[in-house]
Amino acid sequence: MDLTWSSEDLEFRDEVRAFLADKLTSDLQQAGRLMTSVYADHAASMAWQAILHERGWAAPAWPVEYGGCDWTLTQHYIFGRETTLAGAPTLSPMGLLMVAHAIIAFGTPEQKDYFLPRILTGEVFFCQGYSEPEAGSDLAALSMAAIDDGDHLVCTGSKIWTTHAMEANWIFALVRTGRTGRKQQGITFVLIEMTSPGIEIRPLVMTSGEEIQTQIFFDGVRVPKSGVIGRIDDGWTVAKYLLEFERGGGAASPALQVMAESVARAAERQPGPAGGKLIDDPAFAGRLADARIRTEVLEILEYRVLATVAEGRNPGASSSMLKILATELSQTITELAMAAAGPRGRVYQPHGTRPGGPVADFAPPSDGYVSGEPWQAVAPLRYFNDRAGSIYAGSNEIQRNILAKATLEL
Amino acid sequence: MDFNLSSEQELLRDGLNRFLVARYDLNASRAAAKTGSGWQPAIWRGFAAELGILGAPLPESVGGSGGGPVETMVIAEELGRALVIEPFIDTVVVAGGLLARADAGVAAPILAKIADGSAVVALAVTEADSGDHWDGLTTIAVADAAGWSITGSKIVVSSAPLATHLMIAARTESETGQAQDMSLFLTEFDAQAPPSGLHVHAYRTVDDRRAADLIFDGLRLPADALLARDCWLSLTRARDEGAAAVCAEAAGAMRTVLDQTVDYCKQRQQFGQPIAAFQVLQHRMVDMYLELEQAVSAAYLAGLNIDAEPEVRARTVSAAKATTGRAARFIGEQAVQLHGGMGMTEELAVGHYFKRLTALQYEFGSTDFHRTRYARLTR
Repeated sequence: MDLTWSSEDLEFRDEVRAFLADKLTSDLQQAGRLMTSVYADHAASMAWQAILHERGWAAPAWPVEYGGCDWTLTQHYIFGRETTLAGAPTLSPMGLLMVAHAIIAFGTPEQKDYFLPRILTGEVFFCQGYSEPEAGSDLAALSMAAIDDGDHLVCTGSKIWTTHAMEANWIFALVRTGRTGRKQQGITFVLIEMTSPGIEIRPLVMTSGEEIQTQIFFDGVRVPKSGVIGRIDDGWTVAKYLLEFERGGGAASPALQVMAESVARAAERQPGPAGGKLIDDPAFAGRLADARIRTEVLEILEYRVLATVAEGRNPGASSSMLKILATELSQTITELAMAAAGPRGRVYQPHGTRPGGPVADFAPPSDGYVSGEPWQAVAPLRYFNDRAGSIYAGSNEIQRNILAKATLEL
Repeated sequence: MDFNLSSEQELLRDGLNRFLVARYDLNASRAAAKTGSGWQPAIWRGFAAELGILGAPLPESVGGSGGGPVETMVIAEELGRALVIEPFIDTVVVAGGLLARADAGVAAPILAKIADGSAVVALAVTEADSGDHWDGLTTIAVADAAGWSITGSKIVVSSAPLATHLMIAARTESETGQAQDMSLFLTEFDAQAPPSGLHVHAYRTVDDRRAADLIFDGLRLPADALLARDCWLSLTRARDEGAAAVCAEAAGAMRTVLDQTVDYCKQRQQFGQPIAAFQVLQHRMVDMYLELEQAVSAAYLAGLNIDAEPEVRARTVSAAKATTGRAARFIGEQAVQLHGGMGMTEELAVGHYFKRLTALQYEFGSTDFHRTRYARLTR
C-alpha cells in the first residue's frame, strides 16, 4: 500500500505539465475555467481534442491497438489530474468515453475500423439517445420502435435529454426491436447517422438559458443493420456495460478540487457577512473546509476503485457510489460559490462565461460589461446546471437503489 | 393569539388572487422580462387602479390604505404564488417605508406617486466591497455651495432599470466613518438617460427581474435632494421590512412549487406506477412540507415583529430570513430533483420558481448574513 508517486510518475507528470504549458492556449484555458456545466464550449472542446490527438492523448483509456496509451493506472490518473488542474476544457464524453467502449467491446471489425479513428479525430461526433419522454429513470421502458425491414431497421419515436444533438453527426440509440418477454429484452443498441431523412431536433431551453439539451423526433428513419452494436434484441447488455463507464469512468475529484480552490481564492477577496473577508468567516470557512475534506477523501476512494479495475476486477456498483458522492459534492461546492458571489450571484450574464451551447433570449450589453469577476458570472449558471448531476446518468435515487440491492443485498 | 385574517384582509387576498389568476400569465411575464421592457406596466397600473395594493401599507394622507405588516404579508404571499416580477417589495415596502419615515414635505408627493402607480423607486445601498455588511459602505456625498457631489459605486440595485426615482445611501462625513453618518438622497432617474456623473450598467437577474450597477463619478445633486440624515436606523429597518416581505413572498412560491411537485409525482409513471408511490420520494415531499410550514411560521414571526423595538425586530427578521433561505434552497432543489430532467428546463413553471427561490436567498441579506446577525444578537 502506497500513496506516493515514483520518480517515473513524477517524470511523467512533468512531461504532461510541459505539454500543457506548451499547448493549452489561454483561450482554451478560459474555455475550461469559465465552463458553466460539465460541458465545455463545443468548438473549444474539439480544438483541444485535436491538439491531444496530435500527441496521441485524445483517448488514453482505449486499448493501445486502437489509439490508446500504454500507461499505468497512476499515469492515467496523473494525466486527468494535471489537465484538469491546468484548466483544460473537457472533451465530449459521448464518443471518446462511451460509445467507443461499446464498439471496442461489442463491435464488428468493420465498425471498429470505421468509427474508432474518426471518433479520435472528431470527424465523427456522437450524441446519446437513451432517455425518452416516458422512459427516464425507468430506462428499460423505452419504446422507440425499430421495425425490421430486411437490411434496415425503421425507427419511429422520440429521444430526450440528448446533449449536443445539433453538433453531432451520429447518435447511438437504444431502440425497441421486440415487445415480448422482460422489458430489458427486445432492446437494440444502434448507431444512426444524424443526416438520415426523418430526424427532427428540438432544442430545450434549460434554467440557465442554455440550449445544450434537445429532444429528437424520429419519423420512419431507415437505419442500416450494419449500425447495430452487438446483437439485435441484446442492446441492454451493451447499455449496462456503458452505464458503468458513464457513472464512474473517470476521476471527478481533480475537477472538484479546482472548483473548491476557486471558491477559496474568491472568498479571500469577497466581503464576509460581518465585515472582514469571507474566508475569515468561521461558518463559511467551516463549510468550505468540509467540502474540501470530502474532496480529498473522494480522491482516495476513486483511487481505490481505479485500482480494482486495474487489477482486472469488476468494480460492480462502485460506479454508483462514486456518481452519488461526486455529483452531490459538486452541488455543494456550487452552493458555496453562490454564497461567495454574494449579491452578484443574482446577475444573469452568460456573456461573461463560456457556456456549452447557445443561450436563448439573451443579448449581451453592447459594451460587454460584466458585473464583478468572471467566476461571479459563472456561479449561478453553474449552480443551476449542476442540479442535473443528481438527475442524469440514472438519478441518485436510482443509484441508491442499485447500491441497496447489489452491494448491501437488501 | 389569532392567526386568522380579518374579513378585509381576506378580501384583499382574494381580490389579488383573482386578478393574478385571470391576468398574470407566467409566459407573458417572462417574455416581458427577457425580450420586452422588463416588466408589464399594464399589470402595475392594475395593481394601483383596480386593486389599490401599491398604497396598501402607505398612509391615507398620500392616497394609501394605511395597512400594516399583515396586509403586506398577504400581498407578498400572493405575488410569490404567481411568481410576479413587478417590484412591489422594492418600491412599495422598502422605498415606501423609507419615504414614510422621512421628511413629509419632500416625501409626500413621491409617496402619492407610488400609491397611484406612477413612480417606481429603486434603493441603491449595497457595494461590491460591503456586500450585505452595510457598515462597510464607502460611497460619499460632499456638500458645497451648489448642493451635493456623490462619488462611489453600487451593485445589483434592484429595479433601477424600471425606476423613475433613485434613492442613494451615501456617507456625508467621510473622515469619521461612523454608520450614523449615513444619509439618503432622492433624485428623479431614467436608466436610459442618466445624468453626467452617473454610469448605469443595466441587466437582467437570474430570476428574470431587472437590476443595475451604478457608478457615481461626482454626480451633482441639488441641496434639496437630501432626503434624510442619520438614516442608519431607517435604512436597516427598510432592509428588515424587505426581508420580512420576501419571506412571505417565498412562502407563496414554495407552497405553489410543493403543490406542483406533488401533482407531478402523482401523474409521472415509471416502473409501472406513479413515482409518488415510492416511499423515498414520499418522505422527500414530506420534508419539503415540513420546511414550508416552518417558513410560513417564520414569515409570521418576522411580519408580526416589524414594529417591535429594533433589536427584537432584527432578531426575528434574521430568524425568519435564515429559515426561509434554508427552506427555499431545499424546496427549490428538491422540486427540480423530483421533476427530473423537466425540472432543469424552462418548459415547466417549476424551473422559474426554482430560480426565484434561489435569488431571494441573497436579497435583503443572505442566509449567512442573517444567521450571523442572529448569532450576534443572541450572544
